[in-house]
Amino acid sequence: MFKRSIVLLGLSLSLVLAACSNNDSSTGNNSSNTNDSGETPEVVTYHFFNAATAGRDVNTNETTLGAMFEEATGVNFRMEHLVGDINQRIGVMVASGDYPDVIVPDDTIDTLLDAKALIPLNDLLEEHGQNILAAYDEYLHMFTQDDGNIYYIPFGATVNEFQPNPNIDQGAFWIQRGILKEYGFPEINTLDEYLEIITRYAAENPEIDGMRTIPFTGLTYDWRFFAFSNAPNHLAGYPNDGGVMIDMETHEATVYADSEYTKEWLKSLNDLNADGLLDQEMFVMNYDEYLAKLSSGRVLGFFDYGWQFGNARNALRDAGNPDREFMALPIVFDGVEQDQYLDPPSFTSNRGVGITVNAENPERIIQFFDHIIQEEQQKKIMWGLEGEHYTVDEDGRYFQTEEQIELVQNQQFREEFGMTTFEWNWPRLNGSFENGNAVEPRRQPEVALATYRDADREYLDAYGISTFAELFADPQERPWYPAWSANIEQGSPHAIFEERANELTRRHYARIVLAEPANFEKEWNDFVEAYRKLDVEAYENFFTDVVQARVRGEW
Amino acid sequence: MSLQQTPTPMMPSPQGATKRPKGIKYFIKKCGEQKALLLMSVPFLIWLFIFRYVPLAGWAMAFQDFRPARPLLEQEWAGFKHFIFLFTDPRFFEVLRNTLAMSLINLVLGFVTAIGLAILLNELRNLAFKRVVQTISYMPHFLSWVVAAGLVSAVLSVESGIINIILNNLGIIKNNIMWLGVGEYFWGIIGAADVWKNVGWNTIIYLAAITMIDTEQYEAAEIDGASRLQRIWYITLPGMKPVIIILLIMNLGYILESGFEAQYLLMNPMNMDFAENLDIFVLRYGINMGNFSLATAAGIFKTVVSFIFLFSANHIAKRMGEARLF
Amino acid sequence: MNSFLSKLAGKRRGVDDLIFDTLNVIFMIFLCIVMLYPMVNTLAVSFNEATDTVRGGIYLFPREFTFYNYQHVFGESQLLHAGMISVLRTVIGTAVSVFCTAMVAYTISRKDFVLKKFVTIAFVLTMYLNGGLIPTYLLMRELSLIGTFWIYIIPGLIGVFNLIVVRSFIEGLPETIFESARIDGAGEFTQFFKIALPLCLPVIATVSLFVAVGQWNQWFDVFLYNSSRPELSTLQYELMKILQNSNAAVSGGSAASALAASQSGAIETVTPQAVRAAMTIIVSVPIICVYPFLQKYFVKGLTLGGVKG
Repeated sequence: MFKRSIVLLGLSLSLVLAACSNNDSSTGNNSSNTNDSGETPEVVTYHFFNAATAGRDVNTNETTLGAMFEEATGVNFRMEHLVGDINQRIGVMVASGDYPDVIVPDDTIDTLLDAKALIPLNDLLEEHGQNILAAYDEYLHMFTQDDGNIYYIPFGATVNEFQPNPNIDQGAFWIQRGILKEYGFPEINTLDEYLEIITRYAAENPEIDGMRTIPFTGLTYDWRFFAFSNAPNHLAGYPNDGGVMIDMETHEATVYADSEYTKEWLKSLNDLNADGLLDQEMFVMNYDEYLAKLSSGRVLGFFDYGWQFGNARNALRDAGNPDREFMALPIVFDGVEQDQYLDPPSFTSNRGVGITVNAENPERIIQFFDHIIQEEQQKKIMWGLEGEHYTVDEDGRYFQTEEQIELVQNQQFREEFGMTTFEWNWPRLNGSFENGNAVEPRRQPEVALATYRDADREYLDAYGISTFAELFADPQERPWYPAWSANIEQGSPHAIFEERANELTRRHYARIVLAEPANFEKEWNDFVEAYRKLDVEAYENFFTDVVQARVRGEW
Repeated sequence: MSLQQTPTPMMPSPQGATKRPKGIKYFIKKCGEQKALLLMSVPFLIWLFIFRYVPLAGWAMAFQDFRPARPLLEQEWAGFKHFIFLFTDPRFFEVLRNTLAMSLINLVLGFVTAIGLAILLNELRNLAFKRVVQTISYMPHFLSWVVAAGLVSAVLSVESGIINIILNNLGIIKNNIMWLGVGEYFWGIIGAADVWKNVGWNTIIYLAAITMIDTEQYEAAEIDGASRLQRIWYITLPGMKPVIIILLIMNLGYILESGFEAQYLLMNPMNMDFAENLDIFVLRYGINMGNFSLATAAGIFKTVVSFIFLFSANHIAKRMGEARLF
Repeated sequence: MNSFLSKLAGKRRGVDDLIFDTLNVIFMIFLCIVMLYPMVNTLAVSFNEATDTVRGGIYLFPREFTFYNYQHVFGESQLLHAGMISVLRTVIGTAVSVFCTAMVAYTISRKDFVLKKFVTIAFVLTMYLNGGLIPTYLLMRELSLIGTFWIYIIPGLIGVFNLIVVRSFIEGLPETIFESARIDGAGEFTQFFKIALPLCLPVIATVSLFVAVGQWNQWFDVFLYNSSRPELSTLQYELMKILQNSNAAVSGGSAASALAASQSGAIETVTPQAVRAAMTIIVSVPIICVYPFLQKYFVKGLTLGGVKG
C-alpha cells in the first residue's frame, strides 16, 4: 500500500515537472508565426493586462475582430483580466517589475507613473499614430502629464456630434409606471408631486399581488450607498460631479453632504417614515434583497442609477405585466429651474491604456491602436458587419432589425465576435461617425426605438415623447465635467477625507431618516457637527482649483 | 470513584523532574546521539527560516511611506506615523472593542459547541447514522461567506425570515424584529452564524481526539456501573483535554482575528457601529488605498498582542500543570 | 416514528439511556435539517433560471428549471485543465505536506530531543507573524518559484496548526510502545514509520483533510503568483474569473440591452447569484465525495490495547 502510493506520487510528480518544463518553452512572449508572403511582418503576441474590468481571458485572434486586426497589423494580444484585489496585484507587479506589455491600470495609474513603468508615447504617436492623434486632437492636453509626455491613452474621444443616451441608464427617480396611467399620465416634476402621487396610490392599493405595498425604498448596501447619498445633488439640479456641486458662475466647489438640499431630502424621507410609507428594511437589506424587492412589483418608487438594477428590470419584463415596470422621472426640488440628470459630454482623462517598459517593439502596439481607431474599424467593433449585424436605410442611417438586435445582444455572440474585448479599454471613439450615425448603437435613436414594445409606446405617446430620455432636460455645458475625475492620489488626505466622510454619512443618514420626527433636528445637527470636524474646506478648495484650472483649459 | 484515577493516555507525563545538564559540550554530545532526529527536523527549520522569517524584513515598511516602485531600503522613512494614524483614529477604540468582543464570542461559542457536538456524535450508537450526521454537519463549511451571509440575511429578514415567523408563532415576540438593524444584536448574530457554518468542521479534530481514547476504559467504566454522563465527564472529556487546551492556547493568540467576510457582508448603516473590526478598518484605509505601510503597521500591532496572549496562556497552562504549547 | 428513532439510537440499557439516546437522535435530526438547508437551497438556485432567481423566494426546489447556469460555467474551455491542476496540487500538496508535518511533529514530541523547545517555538511564533504581501512576493521571485507549479506546494509545506495537533497526538501515545521498540533496536525513522504514523492514523486523516481542503479551495496564490500563466490556473481561480465576468456583465448591461432582451423574450442570461450557486456545487461536490473515505478513520474508535502488548 505504502510503496504503491510512493510510486504514484513519483509518477505524478514527474508528470507535473514535464508539464511545467514543456510550458516554459512554449509560452515565451512574441511567439512567431511568419506569413508566407514575406511582406507582412512577423506576427507578434503581446500580453495585455486589464485591471479595470472582468472579462474572458482569450487571445484576441480567437475572436472574429481580433483575427481581422491581426491580418492587417500582424499583432495579437493575450488578454488577462484582473481577478482579485487591484492594489495587491499592481503592488507586487510594481515592486517586482514583472510588467505585462500593455496595461489598463484603472485607478492605480499613479502607482505605475510613479514607478516609471509606462513609456512616453509622444514620439511613437507622432510616427505611427496619426489616426489616434487626429481622434484625440482636442483632448491631448488633458492627459499630457506635467513633464510634457503622454504615458497613456484614455478611452472615448468624442468626435463629431455628441450623442445623448435615449434611455436612462444613469440617475433618476423611478416610478412604477402603472401609477402614471392610473392617474391619467400627469406631469411630475417636483419631489413633492412625486411623493404625493406615490402616497395616494399606496393609500388606495395597500397590497399588490397579495403582498404589502412598499411605497418608497432605496439602495444603501456597501459601496452602493452613493445611490442614496447622491440623490439630493440631482434633486438640486446638478449632474453627478462626485461629492461636490460646482457653481455654474463662480466655478466653486461645495460639498453637499451637509447642505440644505440634503437636509430637505432626508426630511422628506423622515416624514415618509413617520407615515409608515418608507421601506423599513431600506438600511438593512443587501443588494440581492433590494433587486428581489424591485422585481416583486410591489415597490412604487425609488432613486437609483439605471445600470444598478438591470437584472430587476429583466425580471420584471419577463413577468409580463408592463404596468409594473419602472419609468424614470427627472424630479427636482420645488423652485429648481431645470433638472440635470443627463451627463454632459465628458472625457475621463485619468484612466487609460499604457505600454510598459517591458514591451519589445512598442511601435507595433501603437500601429495596432492606430489601426483600430479608424472609423471603418470602430464601426465593426461597435456595430458589427453591415448587412449582417446592422442595416443601412436609404438616408444612410444605421438601424438593426429585430433579428439583428437579438443576434447582437447575445452575450456569447459578442464574446466570439470580439465586441466585448474591443468595445472599451482600447483607444476608441465616442459621439458619432462622420456620416452622423452614433458610434454606439445604444445611443442611436433608431435602435432604441426599435426595442420599444407597444406597452412602452403607450407611455411615450401619452407624454408626447419619442425616447424616455426626452423627459429630461438637455445637459448644460460644463467644460470641467466630471469633477470626480480629478486626480486624488491614493492614500492622500483627500482620499482619507472621502473615506471618512462616506463612513459618517452612512452611519448618520440612517439615523436621521429613521429618527422620531421630533428628534430630526437633533440628529441632523449631530451629523453636521461630526462632518464639519473633517477638513471639508481643504477638500472643497482642491476641487475648486481643479475645476477652475480645467475651465482655463489646464488639465 | 475509581474512575477518577484511571490514567488517560493523552495526559502529558510530568516534565522537568529530572535535572538537565547544560553546556555546549553536553549539547554537542546530545546532537551526536540524535543525528536522526536532527536530520528529520533541521531541513524544515531552514525552510521555516527562509519562508517565514526572511519576509519579516518587510516590517520596515511600517516605518516608511512605502511606494512599491522603490527598493525597500530606498523608501522614505516615516517613523511611527502609521502607528499614530492607527491609534489616534477616532474610531480605533470602537473598532478594537468590536474585534475583541466578536473574537471572544466566537472563541467561546466555537469551542463549546464543537466539543459538545463531538461528544454527542460519539454517543450515537448507530454508526451509519453517526457518519451521515457528521457529513451533513460540516457541509455549510464549504459555502463561501457570500452565499452564507445571503442565507443569514434571508433567515433574519423582518417580513419573511424564518426566525421571526417561529418566534411569532410561539408567541415570544409580538412585532417582528429587524435583527440586522439593531447594532446590539450584531455580535450574537456573527457568533451564531459562525457556529452554524463551522461547528461541524471544528468537530472533526475532537472526534479524532476521542478515537485515541482507549476503549478499554469505557468497558471498565461500564462494569463499574458508571452512567452515560459519568462516562462523558470522567473519560471522554479528560481524554480530549490536552487537545482542547492546546487549541485554546493557539486560538487565544488569534484574539485580534475575528474574521472579516461575515462582518463585511452583514454590515449595514444601522449596525456598523458594532460591525466594523480591525480587518475592515485596515482594508479601508490600508489595502483599498494602496497604503501597504498602514497594513503592515496594523499587522505588527496584531503580532504584539498575539504574543502577549500566547505567552500568557501558555504560562498559565504550565502553572496549572496542563498540556502546553511549548 | 418511535421505532425509527430507537433503531437509530441502537441498543441500550436503562431508562436514562433511552431518554438520552432519543433526545440525542432528535437533536441530530434537527441539526441535519439546519445544516443541510444551505446546500439544498444552493442546489435549487443553481438549477433555477437566473433572471427568475432575482425575484427571490427560491427555497428547496427550483422554480424555473434550467441547466443553463452549469452550461455557462462549463462553457469555459479552460475548466478541465484547471480542474486537473487543482487535483494535482491537492494530491501532491497534501501528501508532501502531511508527511513533512508528521515527521517534524514526531521530532518535537520526543522529550529528550535537544532542539525540541527551539523548533517548537520557532514554528509556533510564525503563526502570528506575517511579513506582508510584497516582501513575500519578492522572496518567491528570488527563489524562482513564480510561474511554477511548486509555488502551490513549497511555501505552505508545513502548517503550524497541523504540526502542533499531530505532535500532541503523538505525545498522547504511551511511551512504553516506543521504549520496547528501542529495546528491539529500532531507530528514530523506524519508530516514526512503524509506530507513530500508524497509531496516529485518526489525526493523520484529520490533518490530511485540513490540508486537502485548503489546497482545493486556494485561489489567492494563483492570483498573486501565477495569474499570467493560464496553464497553471486552478479550478477555483477559473471559477472566480467566471463569477467576476458575470458581475461585469450585469453592471455593464446597459438599459438598451435590457430593453432588447424583451423583444424576443427568452434570452438566457446569468447573474452573479446563479453563477455563484453553480460554482459552490461544482467545488464542494468532489470534497463531499472524498470525505467518507477519510471519515472512517476518525468516526470509529480505535483500540490501543492491541498494540500495547
